[in-house]
Amino acid sequence: MSILWASLRREGARLRASGADLAMLTWVPLLAMALLCWIFSAGQPQRLPIALWNEDPGTALSRQLERMLQASPGLELRAPVLNRAEAQAALQSMAVYAVVHIPPDMARDVKQGRSASITLLHNAQLATASSLVQRDVRQVVGTLSAGIEMQAAAKRGTPGQALYARMEPIKTQLVALFNVSTNYELFLAAALMPALVHILAMTAGAWSVGRELRERTLGDWLGAPPVGLGPIFAALVGKLLIACLSLWACTMAALLYLAQLRGWAVAGSMAWIGLALALLVAVSLAAGAALSGLTLSLRTALSGAGFFSAPAFAFCGVAYPLLAMSPGARTWAEAMPYTHYARLQLEQWLMGAPLAQSLPTIAALGLATLVLLAAASAGLARGLRQPQRWGGR
Amino acid sequence: MAFLRLLLAQLRCLLSDKGAVLLLLGAPLLYGFFYPWFYATEVVQRVPVALVVQDSSALSRQLLRFAQASPRIDPQLVTADEDQARQALLRGEVMGYALIPSDFKRDLLRARNLTVPVYANGAYPLASKQVQYGFAEAFGTVSAGVELRRLQAGGQSALQASASRAPLQLQPLALFNPTEGYGSFVVSAVAILILQQTLLMGGALFVGTLREQGHAGGGVRLWLARLLALCLPGWLAGLFYMGWIFIWQGYPHGANPLGALAMLAVFVPAVAGCAALIGWALADRERALQVLLFTSLPLVFVAGFTWPAEGLPPALQWLRWLAPSTAGIQASLRLNQMGASVAQVAPLLAWLGGLTLAGWTAVLWLGRGSSAAARAR
Repeated sequence: MSILWASLRREGARLRASGADLAMLTWVPLLAMALLCWIFSAGQPQRLPIALWNEDPGTALSRQLERMLQASPGLELRAPVLNRAEAQAALQSMAVYAVVHIPPDMARDVKQGRSASITLLHNAQLATASSLVQRDVRQVVGTLSAGIEMQAAAKRGTPGQALYARMEPIKTQLVALFNVSTNYELFLAAALMPALVHILAMTAGAWSVGRELRERTLGDWLGAPPVGLGPIFAALVGKLLIACLSLWACTMAALLYLAQLRGWAVAGSMAWIGLALALLVAVSLAAGAALSGLTLSLRTALSGAGFFSAPAFAFCGVAYPLLAMSPGARTWAEAMPYTHYARLQLEQWLMGAPLAQSLPTIAALGLATLVLLAAASAGLARGLRQPQRWGGR
Repeated sequence: MAFLRLLLAQLRCLLSDKGAVLLLLGAPLLYGFFYPWFYATEVVQRVPVALVVQDSSALSRQLLRFAQASPRIDPQLVTADEDQARQALLRGEVMGYALIPSDFKRDLLRARNLTVPVYANGAYPLASKQVQYGFAEAFGTVSAGVELRRLQAGGQSALQASASRAPLQLQPLALFNPTEGYGSFVVSAVAILILQQTLLMGGALFVGTLREQGHAGGGVRLWLARLLALCLPGWLAGLFYMGWIFIWQGYPHGANPLGALAMLAVFVPAVAGCAALIGWALADRERALQVLLFTSLPLVFVAGFTWPAEGLPPALQWLRWLAPSTAGIQASLRLNQMGASVAQVAPLLAWLGGLTLAGWTAVLWLGRGSSAAARAR
């Protein structure tokens, strides 16, 4: 215990002496999380620019379609395009995300009882925008089409009551559970903040241990060899404790901001999320420390921390589902701690899953922390016996 | 000629730094293979779903068959108990389920309005979309068949019936990324960010080391040579992505190759200038890694490809241009993937040129003192 306490006090003194190191554990994480909250504060992008290519101008039907597109809050009609070349230029320069093409004689065809086909040329390279635009345009065209169909059926003498049932005998009612409004603030900001702290914590773990190597102070910190694994383990825990508490507190503050002030109610247990987050921070710090302890180089450890943690969000299954990945890629993704934390947070925050379901995740994160701390201790014990390797850059 | 010798000397100096080489050349090479690996399948198919069938008619069997035939979904659980499906959903075994209520066929024969609710796990948007579209398409096909038969029973011809069913139809046509692949969407843009981040870290590490060791001065010519030396690995990595990774992965590529070269020509120096400034400010070999590692996360979401710029707060819509990656990604997508002309991206290239000019001027001004003066300090 005294070793742990001494190591903690030593780290505290070092942090007080280095403003930059302290900043990386306090206001930099807070600022970065505030930035993420700010990015997604709109929740859902509105008024995505599209253009109309109307080859059936002057008809009531095309004017009605234009009005309805204009009225859709997700869309904004920009200057119309007159031909294929203009449509292509507007799309290529990304001035608009999509072009709605109204075919010649649309109104006449519909009047004569034939069907007309409206084409939506959308920029699939920008998948998020393109799927939002598709959803809104589909809705507008569907509403317009249903109106025409009802008018026609009424003219044919179908009684009004029977109309609805006859039009679409089997309706599919789409219900998105757990993220009803498909709001990105809740979905992305809440998932990104732990991803950010995962990077920061792994960096901090590599930094605080690696700095002792770079500055050749490993002996001052751990004592002269031989030192047993137990004392090194205790010294390591003491060293990482401040960073663990500080980074956890920053992230909790950000998550509580979303849950309380932005009103994204937690369906399950916030305390359980808090516990898992503490373990995520701990396992990331331990992984960073292990990288430093095993490579005995601050620079290599930081590069490694970046390699493992920076893409963690991209591969965690929230953006692109794990079930769609190849077996090898999926194995890698499932070996990363953030993947498991992200699932737990979704289950607790959005789905309200029973606590017992995420118990194995909690246990595994805890176990991984101990294993990585042990690996770091073993690496440091070896490093302690090789003072000639200290100070490597 | 003397400048060429100076440049070669600086390049040798850069390449003899193992840490810098690892970041400038090793990291882009590694990420070029690593990043696309996770998205190699490109589309999410056969998402596991459940089907709750409480009706035992031929019609509900038909709905099940059509759902099984959909490439988007894979009904792994068919049950009469909704609770069972709900539990499977909570455990993550299925991503959604549809509920066919009892007396489904009887209500249909009475021409009532029937609704099949489809519950999808909105916590996973990409899978949820497939669940919704998969069920909607499968059931929509069955529904259309029923409707056509009714209209024909009412005396319309088959052709008339199909037209009066849906007088206006929407045909979505995916441009530039015709398969709508996820990797094509994400990696072709993220590649530019990888180029920026690796060059930033490698360059800042190199310059930070120089500053730390007191070799910071040296005059304008020396710093010009150093900046150019930093650009070379950046250009090389850029060519590797645009000329090999995009092609090898089958991403949309090469729509305007000369334009893409022009983009690289201004993007890399802009990043090199920022790298030198950051290295100068930090004056520490490893500090740049510590400070820059986490920045890739927010930079992805202000670049305007995965999150539409229209959704950003107004102030951020301006601030985001300070990072070269924003203009770089926007220009690269237009040139590599969409085939825009150089004239169409001229403002973006000019902006990158402006960033280069500002960054390089600042670096040359900072490093203008002679090396003797630097040593004296």
